[in-house]
Amino acid sequence: MNFDLSLVTESIPKMLAGIGITFQLMALSAVLGLILAVILLLMRISGKWYLSWPAQVHIYIFRGTPILVQIFIIYYGLPQFEFIRDSVFWPILREPFGCAILALTLNTGAYVSEILRGGVLGVDHGILEAGSALGLSARQKFIYLTTPIAARLALPAYSNDFISLMKATSLASTITLMDMTGIARTIVAQTFAPYEVFISLAIIYMILTWIIQKTFGRIEKYLSRYVNP
Amino acid sequence: MDAVTGWWDDYFWGSMIVLQVFFFSLLLMVLFGLIGAGAKLSDSRVAQKIASAYTVIFRGTPEILVILLLYFGSAIALTAIVQVFNPDVKFVDVPPMWAGTIAIALIVGSYATETFRGAFLGVRPGSIEAARALGMSNLQTFIYIRIPEMWRLALPAFGNHMLSLIKDTALISIIGLNETFFVAKQAIGTTGEPFTMYIVVGCIYLGFSTIITLSVMGMEKFGARTGEGAR
Repeated sequence: MNFDLSLVTESIPKMLAGIGITFQLMALSAVLGLILAVILLLMRISGKWYLSWPAQVHIYIFRGTPILVQIFIIYYGLPQFEFIRDSVFWPILREPFGCAILALTLNTGAYVSEILRGGVLGVDHGILEAGSALGLSARQKFIYLTTPIAARLALPAYSNDFISLMKATSLASTITLMDMTGIARTIVAQTFAPYEVFISLAIIYMILTWIIQKTFGRIEKYLSRYVNP
Repeated sequence: MDAVTGWWDDYFWGSMIVLQVFFFSLLLMVLFGLIGAGAKLSDSRVAQKIASAYTVIFRGTPEILVILLLYFGSAIALTAIVQVFNPDVKFVDVPPMWAGTIAIALIVGSYATETFRGAFLGVRPGSIEAARALGMSNLQTFIYIRIPEMWRLALPAFGNHMLSLIKDTALISIIGLNETFFVAKQAIGTTGEPFTMYIVVGCIYLGFSTIITLSVMGMEKFGARTGEGAR
């Protein structure tokens, strides 16, 4: 048993060929997930039970089950039904890529909406009262007061969830997608050199994590530029 | 749902395996977390560096990669060790259950390190001073003052760590652990109803996480029964 460095230099470029898919999965489901999270949040704080209940059920289900199960239900499970195979969504659900995006979006949306809710609940009451005193409507208060402050409060937790999402994209390899992890598993199956390949890949993921942390740190600094230390 | 008939016992035993993995990984996770927190809080520079490396590595790497590396990696390492003593052995198989249990305990333990460290630092200095003023020894202070305050501070995050553990057990099926996920794959092979079978798996996990959430809520209530003192 020895560590074969030539295998490392050989396999890193091969794995990096899959970084595009990792980025696509990450970016698309982050954007769609954030939109879903805002919708779920608005449903929850709407005060109407027929809106807040479905949102809460969605959050409960998607936070209470493993993401792997969600991916498998969508990719392997849904085609069991004829009406899904006949529906307009079939071109998306037929592809592992579309299924991975859907699963990651639904999953991250549930988590992020809880994070955003924490941010909204953290907004100081005095600020909202000041808004009322200035004659702002409920909608104006939400847009001009709650949103900017809640976004700043939620950002540290959001960056953690973003990293979780980045790590979860590796599960797309279980439904035949050739992202970085998928390629690494193929190389290991051919060479049976798990140390070299998986450790190199782990370092690539750690660098990505580091970049995400730094980027969010910058955004946090920018958003808090008017906050007294 | 008819298709599930006849598979219930397999799902039951699969759930038992999930519980078993959860139980052992919980013990190991607490152990790793406490060691990590102890190292981070210690005066030794080396221990601090090692603990930071541990948290950076296991928080920055996808869970599935850690599981795969530990499973295949330990098999190769063990084979090499055994071959020193007995060159005839071609390959040593590592049980996926143990490789998986250790892997998810290491991952979640890296998060628990920060939780335990935060809880230790969160104990109010006033409480410790009060204990000193009452003439308590170091050990007494630790048992009667620190621990009761610490577990209350750590509980909410610790509940999330337990949820991560139970959900991560599903990933161990990738290396062939015959838990519920694995049962579903077999059941699909004969019944051809993937949706039904995976929904059952989802319901089992949802049940487990509901039980954990409710128990943590109960413990939080128990912790807060004495009112303000517990913060």
